[in-house]
Amino acid sequence: MKRLPLLAILLLTLPVASVHAQSPDQAWNLDQSTLTYHMSHPMHEVDGTSRAARGKGVCHAGQCDFLVAAPVKSFDSGDSNRDLHMLQVTRGAQFPLIQVRFRLPQGSLASPTLDCDLEVEFAGNTAHYAHVQFHQTIEGNAHHIVGIVPATLTDFKIDPPSFLTIPIKNDIPVRVDLTWHPS
Amino acid sequence: MTALLLQQDTAIPSRTATWARGILIAGICLSLLCSLPVPLRAQTEDRPAAVLAAKSDPLSLPDAPTPAASATSPDEPIVISRSLQPPAQSPPPSAGPSLGDLGLTPAETEGSAQRQALLDRRTHMLKVHQRLGLITVIPVAAACISAAGAPPEHGNYGNTTSRDVHVALGAAAVAMYGATAYYAIRAPKVSNEPARGGIKWHKYLIYIHAPGMVLTPILGAMAFNQINSGQKVHGIASAHGGVAAATAISYGAAIVAVSWPIHIKF
Repeated sequence: MKRLPLLAILLLTLPVASVHAQSPDQAWNLDQSTLTYHMSHPMHEVDGTSRAARGKGVCHAGQCDFLVAAPVKSFDSGDSNRDLHMLQVTRGAQFPLIQVRFRLPQGSLASPTLDCDLEVEFAGNTAHYAHVQFHQTIEGNAHHIVGIVPATLTDFKIDPPSFLTIPIKNDIPVRVDLTWHPS
Repeated sequence: MTALLLQQDTAIPSRTATWARGILIAGICLSLLCSLPVPLRAQTEDRPAAVLAAKSDPLSLPDAPTPAASATSPDEPIVISRSLQPPAQSPPPSAGPSLGDLGLTPAETEGSAQRQALLDRRTHMLKVHQRLGLITVIPVAAACISAAGAPPEHGNYGNTTSRDVHVALGAAAVAMYGATAYYAIRAPKVSNEPARGGIKWHKYLIYIHAPGMVLTPILGAMAFNQINSGQKVHGIASAHGGVAAATAISYGAAIVAVSWPIHIKF
């Protein structure tokens, strides 16, 4: 009979305990970002840059899941007409975000080289890039990550735009420069 | 007295048990309430069902259903929910942060098919503009070249063939220019931001070649009439050549500007 109050208290605290169990072990926030795509044409070499990406990472049971998202329209190539054409070609009005997801073991977050399997959602299609290498430098709490995503137009079923009937090259490598902070 | 004490002794444990049982039941109830999915008010709220009832007047038709307040007006862009879009090739991992965690609002994450259609239409019209613009270079260049034979040679006002060819090429250039301009003007405007890069100079140069394309044929017609009436070209008509040259140069510069910077690399 003496155990009944104890049991009741345990039952009352169960929902509270379950809420605490869902909180992440560690969270990461993206502070600064520079994403730059490169486009090649026999007459033009173009770089478009976005600094509007947002990102977050959460760690559970030794695994960290990260999400980085950037608006397609935030890429600036220095020519507003070209940016609007890019937006049209990549179906940026219908699919306004580029989303990148990846998972890393929590133990590897401090290593100088990060080997990531990326899942990139762009232009209404999803592409997977395995073993993309990122180089990391850590200064205090800031984790500075640099790398290149070897994206192509065909990965996302994008028709290559052409100038003077010559299409642009299929490769559109995206240089990634991110600074993360644990929160 | 002893019996009373005995009654109290037995009553105390039974009261504790009653309290404990009450707390236990309350605890179970609270746990169940916490774990049960509670429907939202919006889900349980009775919405007025659209009922079409026959009116008492047999000759009149029932009223048309009133559009809901949330229905989009023709001017508003149609927003397509991500759930209506085709599914991705492979679903993202279920764990991990969501777009909501990044502080992105639905307005930032949801696409608009109508806006995409507008962009498609704009690109289509500007591609036609580009193609026609490049084709227009041919009659413009030909008109400039043929201008060499347009003035009467050594006072010979009778031979009009080369002048007629120049007039025809000039007219073709103006007509093609008009068609090119039509596609640029009619292309839907999708951004109110100021132009940046080569397109800015492409637009500035309109202020030179557009008036030039109007003035050149007018001045050319005046010069043509003066020559046909046996006069030497004089007055404002004598500016025809200069205006035409400025127009052709600014037109060429507009084509280069929109393609700038050019890095030839094969």
